[in-house]
Amino acid sequence: MSNDEFVQVASLANLPQGRCAAVAVADREILLCHTADGVFALDNLCTHGAARLCEGKLKGNRVLCPLHGAAFDVRDGSALSRPAVRGLASYRVKVTGDAIAIAVTD
Amino acid sequence: MNQNNPAPGAARAGGATVAETLATDSREVPAPLLDQSYQFLGDDDIDCSRYISADFARKEFDRLWNRCWQWVCREEHIPDVGDNYVYQIGPYSVIVVRSSADGIRAFINSCPHRATRILGGEGTGFSNAFTCPFHGWSFSLDGCLQALPARWDFPHVSEETHSLQPVQCETWGGFVFINLDTHAGPLADYLEVLPAHFSHFPLERRRVRLHVQKTLPANWKAAQEAFMEAYHNFETHDGPNGANAQYDIFGKYVSRFIHNIGNYSAESLADYPGDKWRAPPLSENEILQMLSVFGLEHDEVPAGKTAREVAAQDLRHKLGEALGIDFSATSDTLMLDSIEYHLFPNMFFFPGITVSMVYRFRPNGEDVDSSLFDFLILEPLAEGAQHPQPPEPVCLSVEQSYTEAEGLGWLGPVYDEDTGNLALQQQGFKTARKPGITLGNYQESRIRRVHMTLDEFLEEAGNE
Ligand code: FES
Ligand code: FES
Ligand SMILES: [Fe+2]
Repeated sequence: MSNDEFVQVASLANLPQGRCAAVAVADREILLCHTADGVFALDNLCTHGAARLCEGKLKGNRVLCPLHGAAFDVRDGSALSRPAVRGLASYRVKVTGDAIAIAVTD
Repeated sequence: MNQNNPAPGAARAGGATVAETLATDSREVPAPLLDQSYQFLGDDDIDCSRYISADFARKEFDRLWNRCWQWVCREEHIPDVGDNYVYQIGPYSVIVVRSSADGIRAFINSCPHRATRILGGEGTGFSNAFTCPFHGWSFSLDGCLQALPARWDFPHVSEETHSLQPVQCETWGGFVFINLDTHAGPLADYLEVLPAHFSHFPLERRRVRLHVQKTLPANWKAAQEAFMEAYHNFETHDGPNGANAQYDIFGKYVSRFIHNIGNYSAESLADYPGDKWRAPPLSENEILQMLSVFGLEHDEVPAGKTAREVAAQDLRHKLGEALGIDFSATSDTLMLDSIEYHLFPNMFFFPGITVSMVYRFRPNGEDVDSSLFDFLILEPLAEGAQHPQPPEPVCLSVEQSYTEAEGLGWLGPVYDEDTGNLALQQQGFKTARKPGITLGNYQESRIRRVHMTLDEFLEEAGNE
């Protein structure tokens, strides 16, 4: 079954450029990242050891895991450096005015 | 050949010297730029084997790179606690980390368990602690062993014996320096005149506007030596004004050239081939045209003025506005000239406003035939402005051109010219039947000074 609806999860006012934050949607923790290239949504748990990426750091279009320092490209979730090898799931984002909405597909 | 036979190293090109040009500056010239410090260092050839022998490169790794001060990154690369920077030099790898709000520390990037590199790659990263990806030993930002899975199996391991190995780490001018020798003397001694001179040109108040890292097809020494003299200006850059540059040797570790921009002397080209720029000499207008790459307001020199004055004044306006800095009292020489300080073995700092570069040359891994050239533009920062996050390096391969690096503009073709001879030179070292290269006594003296200090490093350690 596919559930394609966009759900509003945050506002731009609370997520200025250069910041990331975690939100809970449909029993999942999702990481929102606002970079110069836009707003992106990814799984919040690192594919290496499940550390919370919201406690890591956003540098440009990379998010860095606080536990072992793996880097992921926030634009598509791909793993950029060891020890992570698997990428993060990423989700579609729609920004309307101040509202950030994401589509979590099951 | 010389009519009056001056002492070796005493002869100079004809025409206005740098000191004479600086004496006509429209503003007060900072005192360090008036210093002159040249001494004749000998005229023996430098062995070609130093550039091509794997054995020589091995000695450099053991005795030079293991023991000299070298910068890793800017302080603004690691502003927050947990920010780190991994630096590779030959076979070695070092982690520099902001371990507390006002503390920066450095460690050997190798796990005390089974030696795995804890962080891969090079460049900026972040983590709250270091955890080795192999068996998960973890270390605090101070390097202390923290967690050890199955500690019951390691009764012989403790915080004292198995913490990360510290590396000496100090800062100067906004740069973070390391020295892999735990017994090395302080950085301040190694910097010789740099702190005194650069108190006039504070590099900590600059930001990285652009960082280009290129692989070059020559030994690191040959690569940097292409930037230590202005003698190549005529042939390599088709430029009129390399011959009057001033060269200074301040000690074992620091040397400098000052290369005036926006003037030249036809006399300095007396024995250069052809009549180019001699008969007839360039007019002030033609000289100004050569500076049009700076994007100047004037395209003609008003009567009674020089191209140099006009260009410096236009740059005061243009850069003052762009950077939000008042340059009205800044000297022509600082506005225009290529003023290049070298710190042994491989670092260059330019105090100029328009020519505001930093270079670093190092071996490319353990390959004797190639090197990595880090090129940074270090732009002055407006008073009170915070350091922005530095840009990631733009990486160029051997085959790529500097013109592919966005933001380099007119400098792209110039650096292509500078680096365009290197593959030929590296091949030439191997072809040569003459065992060594020959250096000019004055214009290439800084190159000789580097080889002399290098020999001290290689010999000293050999006697230990
Ligand atoms: S848990 Fe993220 S890198 Fe290990
Ligand atoms: S090698 Fe690092 S934990 Fe084993
Ligand atoms: Fe050059």
